[in-house]
Amino acid sequence: MSTPFFVLHKASSSKKDRKSSGQGKVRKKTNLSPSSPKNRDKLDAESSGEFNVNRYEELRVEAFEFVWSKIESTIKDVLRGINSKIFNELHRWVRESFNAIRSYGEPSFLEATRSFPLVTNATPRKLFTGFVITKNMEFVDDILTFEKLGQLLQSHGCCVANLSSLDFSVKNGIGGCIKSLLRQFLMANVDAADISILASWYRELGNSGTPLVVVINDLEQCSVSVLSDFILMLSEWIVKVPIILIMGVATTIDSPENILQPNALQLLSPCKFELGSPAEKMDAVVEAVLVKLCTRFTVGHKVALFLRNHFLNQDGTLTSFIRALKIACILHFSLEPLSLILGRLLVEDHKDGIDDVLPDVMFKYVADLPPNMRNQMADQNGKNLAHGLLELLKLQKFWSTVVLCLYEAGKYSKVQLLDLFCDMLDPDLYTSDNHVGIEKYVGLSSSDDLCREYSILRKGGSVCQIVSILRDLPTTMLSRLIKSWAKITADVSEIHDKVKVLQSFLRSEDGKSSKRTSKGISKICSSTSPIKVDEDSRVLNSEAIAFIGFLVGNYMRPIECIPFHEIVCFKNVAKLRLALLGDPRRRVQVDLVEFHKNLRCSCCSRSGNALIPSMHDSAIMYSLAQEHGDLINLHDWYQSFKTVALPHRSKRKKKSNSPLPKKGKDTNDLGEKSEATIQARFCRAVTELQITGLLRMPSKRRPDCVQRVAFGL
Amino acid sequence: MDNDGEEDEEEFGFSRNYFLAKELGGSGKKSARKLSEIDVVDEQELRAAVSNIEPKHENEIADLMDSYKTMYSEWVFQLRCGFGLLMYGFGSKKAFIEDFASTALTDYSVIVVNGYLQAINIKQVVIALAEALWDQVKTKRKTPSRDLPKVQQPFNSRSMEDLLAFLDGSEADENDSFVCIVVHNIDGPGLRDCETQQYLARLAACSHIRIVASIDNVNAPLLWDKKMVHTQFNWCWHHVPTFVPYKVEGMFFPLILAHGSATQSVKTATIVLQSLTPNAQSVFRVLAEHQMSHPDEEGMPIHDLYSVCRERFLISSQVTLNSHLTEFKDHELVKIKRHSDGQDCLYIPLATEALEKLLLEMGQ
Repeated sequence: MSTPFFVLHKASSSKKDRKSSGQGKVRKKTNLSPSSPKNRDKLDAESSGEFNVNRYEELRVEAFEFVWSKIESTIKDVLRGINSKIFNELHRWVRESFNAIRSYGEPSFLEATRSFPLVTNATPRKLFTGFVITKNMEFVDDILTFEKLGQLLQSHGCCVANLSSLDFSVKNGIGGCIKSLLRQFLMANVDAADISILASWYRELGNSGTPLVVVINDLEQCSVSVLSDFILMLSEWIVKVPIILIMGVATTIDSPENILQPNALQLLSPCKFELGSPAEKMDAVVEAVLVKLCTRFTVGHKVALFLRNHFLNQDGTLTSFIRALKIACILHFSLEPLSLILGRLLVEDHKDGIDDVLPDVMFKYVADLPPNMRNQMADQNGKNLAHGLLELLKLQKFWSTVVLCLYEAGKYSKVQLLDLFCDMLDPDLYTSDNHVGIEKYVGLSSSDDLCREYSILRKGGSVCQIVSILRDLPTTMLSRLIKSWAKITADVSEIHDKVKVLQSFLRSEDGKSSKRTSKGISKICSSTSPIKVDEDSRVLNSEAIAFIGFLVGNYMRPIECIPFHEIVCFKNVAKLRLALLGDPRRRVQVDLVEFHKNLRCSCCSRSGNALIPSMHDSAIMYSLAQEHGDLINLHDWYQSFKTVALPHRSKRKKKSNSPLPKKGKDTNDLGEKSEATIQARFCRAVTELQITGLLRMPSKRRPDCVQRVAFGL
Repeated sequence: MDNDGEEDEEEFGFSRNYFLAKELGGSGKKSARKLSEIDVVDEQELRAAVSNIEPKHENEIADLMDSYKTMYSEWVFQLRCGFGLLMYGFGSKKAFIEDFASTALTDYSVIVVNGYLQAINIKQVVIALAEALWDQVKTKRKTPSRDLPKVQQPFNSRSMEDLLAFLDGSEADENDSFVCIVVHNIDGPGLRDCETQQYLARLAACSHIRIVASIDNVNAPLLWDKKMVHTQFNWCWHHVPTFVPYKVEGMFFPLILAHGSATQSVKTATIVLQSLTPNAQSVFRVLAEHQMSHPDEEGMPIHDLYSVCRERFLISSQVTLNSHLTEFKDHELVKIKRHSDGQDCLYIPLATEALEKLLLEMGQ
């Protein structure tokens, strides 16, 4: 109990074996192709026997790992794409700066490894410093960015050390950051914090052609004095140790000026770089992962809304968004038995491409599910499920294409993809009248009509915004938009055909022959109703709007409205919220107020709001504390606790109406015993409330009162 | 989280009053009753009673624990996927987390840290983790030890950076090889400082470490910044109230009724006095007797005390008296008050009744 730490147990090797054999089975199973009946039989034999729970556990882990590693690598690619331009600029700048330092002349070996003599005063001692504006107050997103930058520079032949604000603390002083620098450059632990060690190392290894880059990712968090000292010191060594600084700046470009001491500041030769904003990165990640559906894993409308609000209101960091997505993914695989099919699908997808997956292969997946999971679908014919699954994949593809097309158009009106994504997932807006034939929106030339027609547009979401921008979009932009639509829809022939029509229409527009009847979408849709054409130039716009209407009307089916979406879609927003945000402040207090709900005890739940002796002591005390102000008089608190805990005695006390000390002397042995118990219970409850941090102990100034710390739920 | 933030009090005052005004509408009770008015039983008896408190709702609590057992596999899954588990909710979670670790985490070595203790050497913990991982890797490979890369240095002489690098390294070839660290009360007094939390966060971020921790203080999340929460600890929160009494966790907390009551102060004062020299005791007695005979005075002027003690041959000089007084002041037996006429007065911060008791005890 009182040892600070102990080994609870060592890893058991016997279990390990069992598990690793389980893993073997998994491998075998996933490698199984439908054309190997021999294996199939083996599998049947296996599944007909005792079901190994561990096997499904392994399958689950494998499925998750497969899905998440794909999502993760997709995200990495996206971020790399966003950062690559700025990284290359930085690299070019590092090279230029290095050449500039080299042009100062190269000191001899002896000169270079000693601090004296100083290099002649005539030498400009400017320290090349790149300020990278992160446009993000939360440096947590940029830790990875700077790591990647370091890796990139390293791959281009630079020596890189990554320092953080922790290395620039007042406590460790300049010695701390030099040590950290030496450790990273020399790859060894050096006890002495001496920069000349670095200089010798740089010379001895013949590194003279290599720039040394020091990346400090959060300038604003560093101790100013230590950082300034560091800069002063480096500048003295600049010719001997050609260090180039890169610093992350979270606020504005003038913050280094405000932060650094002037004597350090004048030694810097600054250069400014700008990273993409969190919102840009966010949209790119959402596009790649949730709209283009790199793994087909997706989330329901409520989860999407939660993720968006979490990003916008809670935290604003991409890191926490990705973390939330990962938790959603984990919960999906641990809560939804059907999710195993997704894992299997992806393995197959990886091999042959999803379109080649045959219905009977999917049937096999379903058949392979453990019996208890299959029971949920007892009324479902396996074959039906398999076909449903194919349908699901097809509809997902449509949905994804529609969202991408809308987003492309939305880019002209600064529609955030995250908002559009949430709108497009809303199952309430998808009603049966939404799914109508093309005829419905024939002849619609204004967005108002279109908005009136479709419930999804009626609520004034991002689609309405897109439609209204399309109405007034100049022809040149429109033609660019149609080109990108053509690219997006290239592999969905149903939609691509319509884009082709638009394109042909565009060509005829270009040829200034709009009078000639070209078969626009609205025309194709119905030859009976004429198009309302205000002006010639407007025709193309209304065609584009009609195209949007066509997409939304026919192919925009939110995932939750597709049968079998449970396989790929995570919907349990409550679970996600719980896992992601603890909120102990509120919940611990709720535990105390509603403890009977957690315990499901019949005795206390009946009492309503009244306090009864059977309740948990700390709960009684917490409730009693609510009657006090910020200070709780211990004497009063104790008395009221006693009244609740020993209700039968309270009457007698009232009758005698004497102060407690005198009464204590009257009580018999049994009474004293219960007195001790009550006091003990009181003490313990106070301690428990103190442990939870809801109370502060009496201060010297007020020895008779404890202080309430948390107020309100 | 500190008990003694006197100066904080003023700062918090405003916001606190604001919330109280909203909450109570000004109906807060005000009372000036003294804690000493409660007739507290003897401390030993009180402690005995605390350890014998009859548990309530035992069956319901057992049912609650059983309901958590169904979630064990989900939790293991989360651990394997690289998340840390953070358990919170009212009640001691020590027994139940250890039950989880010893039933569901048998495949991995588990090291338990009792964060509720006052002092924990985090480096020792890291060494133990490194050793456990090393054992795990060795047994798993089942190869003669000569095939393994040599451990250059025993773990206990390596630096923290080295150890963390080892735990984060790729020496164990399989992904799923990790050692689990269970931290009871990661917000506890022994772990609460910033440096330890940073080490814990770095530890949790190591590829071969998974962390299961519990918090009890409602403000515990304030210990961590976003980097720690999102990229290092990577918490998956679990609300698991147990309503089990905080027995070990509360061991080091003073009992509110025992603390500060007359009997308690007398007891501690007696213990302190008995450890002093007979002369020092006599000096204290002089002061105590003066205080009892002059209950209305603010205290005894230092000069008066000096002359009385000198007369009784208890001290030889002002220096000796001062050394006694320093001793008294250090143990809070005596306090100094500035008298209205400007001179310093000495007084014993005990009630007359307690002082009487103290003199009796001293005489025995």
